[in-house]
Amino acid sequence: MKIRSDILRTYQSLHTWTGITAGLLLFIGFFAGSLTMFSSAINDWATPPDYQLPQVESGQHDVLLQQVLSLNPEALKGVSVSFEEASSPVSWYGHGSARGFSMDDQVWHATLNEQGDMITELRHVNELSMLVDYLHRSAGIIGELGHDQAGVYVLGVAAFLYFIALVSGVIFLLPSLVKSFFALRKEKGANRFWLDSHNLVGIASLPFHIIIAVTVIVFSFHDLFYGGLSQVYGDKPMFGGGETHKEIRYELKDLPSLDDIKQATLTYAPGYEVKSISLSRLTTAHPSATVMIVSERTLMRGPHNDYVFMNPFTLEINSSSVTSDHGQQGIWGAVVTSFFGLHFGSYGGELGRWLYFVMGLGGAFLFYSGNLIWLEKRRKKQSTKQSRSSHFMANLTIGVTLGCLIGLAGTFAASKWLTLADWNINIAYMWVYYTLFLSTMASAFIIGAARFSIIGLSLFIALCIMIPLNSMIALALPSIGIWSPNSMADFGIEMGAIGFALAACYALKRARQRVYEGEVDSIWYCPKMSKQPHVRSRVA
Amino acid sequence: MSQTDKIQPHWWSKTLAGVFAGFFLALGLVGIFAWVGPTGLTEQITPEQRSWKTQFNMWMITPVWCLILSFVYMFKTGKQAWFYLGSSAVLSIAIVYALRSYL
Repeated sequence: MKIRSDILRTYQSLHTWTGITAGLLLFIGFFAGSLTMFSSAINDWATPPDYQLPQVESGQHDVLLQQVLSLNPEALKGVSVSFEEASSPVSWYGHGSARGFSMDDQVWHATLNEQGDMITELRHVNELSMLVDYLHRSAGIIGELGHDQAGVYVLGVAAFLYFIALVSGVIFLLPSLVKSFFALRKEKGANRFWLDSHNLVGIASLPFHIIIAVTVIVFSFHDLFYGGLSQVYGDKPMFGGGETHKEIRYELKDLPSLDDIKQATLTYAPGYEVKSISLSRLTTAHPSATVMIVSERTLMRGPHNDYVFMNPFTLEINSSSVTSDHGQQGIWGAVVTSFFGLHFGSYGGELGRWLYFVMGLGGAFLFYSGNLIWLEKRRKKQSTKQSRSSHFMANLTIGVTLGCLIGLAGTFAASKWLTLADWNINIAYMWVYYTLFLSTMASAFIIGAARFSIIGLSLFIALCIMIPLNSMIALALPSIGIWSPNSMADFGIEMGAIGFALAACYALKRARQRVYEGEVDSIWYCPKMSKQPHVRSRVA
Repeated sequence: MSQTDKIQPHWWSKTLAGVFAGFFLALGLVGIFAWVGPTGLTEQITPEQRSWKTQFNMWMITPVWCLILSFVYMFKTGKQAWFYLGSSAVLSIAIVYALRSYL
């Protein structure tokens, strides 16, 4: 395909500058995002085995719910009933709420013992996945803006740059696309190899990346867009309108049984399975039941499930995220739901999650390799002295990418030990992550990217190996109080850690070659410490 | 091709045209669609249908805006970008305003 050379040049610069400004933020977003695919496994792995109370037999949920509601008035505001094996049958927030970002949420768990008496316990919500999700949505940028974290808006802006980078990358790749798409030229030097794999990954997962860019922008700026739309709409209502609310006070004794709610849901959405039911505002004029349902055969709107919203007393369905014969979503609802589902990867069950995990890591690779290509392009040939901006960018690239990896691996490695002390575990996670991230950044700048890449990768490998090692310690010395995996999903987390360690071992081997035996005019070249004691002054 | 036919960089003015004029053009186009497109604002629809259509309209702003932002650099100069995007934005918003007043 032939494209005018001035267009190519314009879009090449555009790709370079959008990529280099947004790439590292997106790296964190993508790496953490690919881990969020397994967030429930992560939480389960990080929570002590006796944290959730035992599930009750089916049919007993109603008995338990009645006892909870009569003895704990605060549960009337919001209580959830779970039918999943691994979670407490009934729980409600004692402090905080399910919405928003808070680190000191406490939840009451309730179950029935063998005699049929109610047992309740108040526990901190241990959400290791919340840290991962927080990094995914904000790249770890601290601060709040309005009702969201500042980082969310920063990533929203980065997503614009990312979209432009995708379009411009495709445009300036088009002329050579057919010729070199599947080419992975190893023999033409490292730079060529990075470039080829960058292009291959980028083009192969282009639809995924376009979806992610668009959805991230909407997630960050929907308030602005709704604001604009409300001007367009004028007097027309955007939501609701038309219906009149009868002021009815509902009596708790009229609450239908959970089975009735389940039945109403399944009639509306056949083929689904009910995961949990959350009842809220039960004694007000606007009671609501949110039924979370799962199906592996459809595209789901939420990260883990679909929703049906109904009035728990009348069993009238208000809205849902399911496209059903009974609903009125039509084509518009289907498209909107698809956008959500395609971002969250909540379709195709386990296989879909793995696919998104791989594509997320592929995205992280795309941004890392993009930075490497930038550095290689600016290499000053036949000179051991490279420009300051190259050194800065190399340090920043290594600092941020390894900082994120080391921070997360360290938090996972420390997680079980942190539960032993009596503090708020979620705040402890934050401390571990930020300490590791910031000290990694600082070390990369002090020691220099080339040499630090070796130290950093070694540390990452050590922390990854710590994760299964902790389980061995737990097996050998059960008295300490940490625990080993007790489910396939838990085991998967530890296998994943070993997988990351192996991948990092390979990267370490290649990095060693690049640093010690690579070309002398490369930014990555560094003689061994023993051969050149003054190396520090050169890098700094 | 002579030097004057080639695309000039004009990064700042083109980017700003894409961000500001582009946003209003995207909003205007989505607005026209919201009023006269299928399941439009003049039709009698249930609250649930309205909720989904409004969400859909909101979602459409982003892809339109992003495409404008991506291709604004095809304009030869920043002035041209501002002229064409700006006038289309004004026109589309004017149409929306007219629809809002008369429908």
